Amino acid sequence: MKHKISYNSNRFSFILILFIGLTNLSAQTDKLLESISSEMEHFNKVATLTKQNEHYQPYIISVFQGKELEKLGVANLKEALLLVPGVDMATDNSNTQTPIFRGSNPLAYGQSKLFIDGVVVNNLFLDAYSEYLSFPIEMIKRIEVVRGPGSKTDGFNAYAGSINVITYAEDFKDSASNDKLVFKYGSYDYRMGGFFKTYKTEDLKLFVDFFYQEDDKKISSGPDGLSQGIFGANNIALSKSGDAPLWLREYSLGVNLEYKDFSLKARMLEHTQGSAYGINLALPQESDRVKLPSYYLDLGYNKEVGSYEVNINAGVKYDTFDSKSKLLPDDLNISNIIFEDGIYGEHYAAQRTLYQSSYLKYSGINKHTITSGYRLIKEETIDMTSKLSNRATGDVALVDYTYTLPFFDKDAKRDTLIFSMQDEFQFNDDISFIYGFNYEQTSYKDAGLEPRVSMVYQLDTENIFKTIYSRSHRNASWQEMFTMNNRARVGSTDLKPEIVDAFEAAYIKKFSTDSYLQTNLFYLLNKDQIYNSSINPEYRNAVDTDIYGFEVEYKGNISSADQLYLNYSYVDGKSYTQDVGSSDSLPNVAHHLAKGYYIYNLDGDLSLSGVVKYVGSKDRVLGDTREKVKAYSSVDSSLHYKDPKYKYSATFSIKNIFNTNITYPSAPNTYIQDYAQERRTFLVTLKKEF
Amino acid sequence: MRKVILLFFIFVNLAYGYSYDDLLLKAQASIFPKIMLLDKKIENKLIEGRIIYTIVYEKNDYNTALEITKFIDENYNGHFNGYAYKINLVEFSDLSSMTQASAIYILNSDKDIKKVADIAKKKGIIAFSYDVKNLKAGLLFSLMLEKSTVLYMNKENLYIQKIDFVDSLLRMVKFIDKENS
Repeated sequence: MKHKISYNSNRFSFILILFIGLTNLSAQTDKLLESISSEMEHFNKVATLTKQNEHYQPYIISVFQGKELEKLGVANLKEALLLVPGVDMATDNSNTQTPIFRGSNPLAYGQSKLFIDGVVVNNLFLDAYSEYLSFPIEMIKRIEVVRGPGSKTDGFNAYAGSINVITYAEDFKDSASNDKLVFKYGSYDYRMGGFFKTYKTEDLKLFVDFFYQEDDKKISSGPDGLSQGIFGANNIALSKSGDAPLWLREYSLGVNLEYKDFSLKARMLEHTQGSAYGINLALPQESDRVKLPSYYLDLGYNKEVGSYEVNINAGVKYDTFDSKSKLLPDDLNISNIIFEDGIYGEHYAAQRTLYQSSYLKYSGINKHTITSGYRLIKEETIDMTSKLSNRATGDVALVDYTYTLPFFDKDAKRDTLIFSMQDEFQFNDDISFIYGFNYEQTSYKDAGLEPRVSMVYQLDTENIFKTIYSRSHRNASWQEMFTMNNRARVGSTDLKPEIVDAFEAAYIKKFSTDSYLQTNLFYLLNKDQIYNSSINPEYRNAVDTDIYGFEVEYKGNISSADQLYLNYSYVDGKSYTQDVGSSDSLPNVAHHLAKGYYIYNLDGDLSLSGVVKYVGSKDRVLGDTREKVKAYSSVDSSLHYKDPKYKYSATFSIKNIFNTNITYPSAPNTYIQDYAQERRTFLVTLKKEF
Repeated sequence: MRKVILLFFIFVNLAYGYSYDDLLLKAQASIFPKIMLLDKKIENKLIEGRIIYTIVYEKNDYNTALEITKFIDENYNGHFNGYAYKINLVEFSDLSSMTQASAIYILNSDKDIKKVADIAKKKGIIAFSYDVKNLKAGLLFSLMLEKSTVLYMNKENLYIQKIDFVDSLLRMVKFIDKENS
């Protein structure tokens, strides 16, 4: 009996040990599976935020990594954007440069939005972001360019495209950014110095970037606008040719701070540039300048609780247009008043934008993630001065016309409320939908309800299809609404928003994990595009434009030692001018754009690269009898060396090797010659990481 | 012309290597060792009481292989869930059935991946691949950052006798085979 008890006891012990062992094993397995799931979720989150999984997202998007662009000798944001499929560049007499997406209204700014670390930085005055195009590439971790409006239903209206610049302040576990120092020197006595610095404790992360850059660029231009008789036939003889001051002085300080669930993003950009081709189209003096400072402060709170995620932001943005220039030449005769020493002017308009947004994301319903919220925006001009040489006597001394003949409405203001809702619906493993809408009300004409629907279908690991329909709009800029007492521009507060209905379809073929071919078709129905001309300077909703085309993009390699990127885009369409009642092909738009780069890694540390761009010819606007804007091709080449031991790199680049004449079109009846851009230039970059 | 050709071959010999998605490399380096531990027969694959995680690379990808090693060491600090491990870096040309390995992780190569798959099968060990397309050649696992993070498994190799995964893992993976990629 005793023996039996002992036997049973042993058997019980064995079963208990086995049970404990199996339970322990099962617990370990569960722990491992939980850990794998959590890692997969973490990397999915990072991949989505960093657009590493761009091909599976419901946008037509191209992503460029800062470090790859550095290898190519790309100097700044503008040069990077010129690599994007379907994107060309335009400029104006103030040298306000703006990227043109798929040929959408090259005469207007604000067709696209620029975000720096998620904060929209388009200035209110022009709705442009020319002052940020010189942002050095060494301060940029990644550029995400979404073409078309089908990107967001979260209170932002990207009309023709949106550009997300991510700085090195982006920080994830496993991918921290190094501190760095950068120096650059190049043609036109270009000098740049900057740094990026990180400070971290357990709860606090602080990222600071700073740069200063200047050059003395001037490019031979003219004859200026007076040659076209814009100030009367009697002043044509005063027209000049010479060097247009296109110089730059700029510094920027950016601070990103994260503390637990709170964030602060702030930037101060002091941008000063030469007066270019003259705000009154007369060639200015070398020292004449335009200041376009931009400051923003964004406070955020982000919290996830169970299936809920709340995102609250509030911020303020200041931007200013501040011009000090000789506007017109000596001996100008206007209505028999002789300006012996010419006309000088100081124009100043400071704007403030206040905003607050709250969004709630809920993922508690199987296969659905619903996001809803609002964004409130209050925009206003907070200061304005307008000074000119005496218009009555012709005396050169400045007279304050701020209250009598202002160049701008000093009481300009606009309130906007945007409500949005969207649902991400994962139908099954292969098909997902995103649908939703923005509803916007403003203190002027409303855009109303704007729906967006997209579908992504992943046939298998190699074939992905997307379709997108979206409606979006662009509200008139301050210049288009509030400019006054100006011969060339007359604002109107009766302007309706420009509206676009976009139909897009894409197919992506993945040859391997890192090589792909992306093709997409688009059809854009633009209504009420805002337009003015020298004959009718008042801004009005005058043009309807239908645009269609396609883009092809390839990234891959020829051998194991290289990287190849190529894209081609074609755009065509019709532009219908309502008040003239005539249709025309798309003016100022290159129907063919082709870009590409090739990097050959000579060894682990040294690479040689080439960038090639082709921009097709452009038709003139209706009534402009000048020849087409000529097509051009440019080639850049760079040698890049990186020392992994001491963590420094050196890049030597030659841009526009063949000294091609690159021009951006001038508006009719302004400068008869188009605006010439840089010829062959060089750039040397030294970077040290810590 | 001869000089150009000569120069080309010098460059090719000095070639640096493939370009890799850094985030994907890190995701795979984090997750693959854990997958390996879900094999119920992991004990049979220990070599001298340790897991030998063998990274197979082309000569020019040596720096990438080193970066992965560094990342794994920083994350796992010498032990995969209680098992001591060693990372073994092996060039494609040196890989054979004699190579010590408890599991293999393969970077990009223009060489015959099937040969690697056959070695893994013969040794009865798991073969992970950086590129999902290599599963068609017979490798067992890959991971992709798609709309969500997807773990791909080659259906054909599911029933290798020396590997026996817990059922819960099989519910997490997406199967792939030669016909249906």
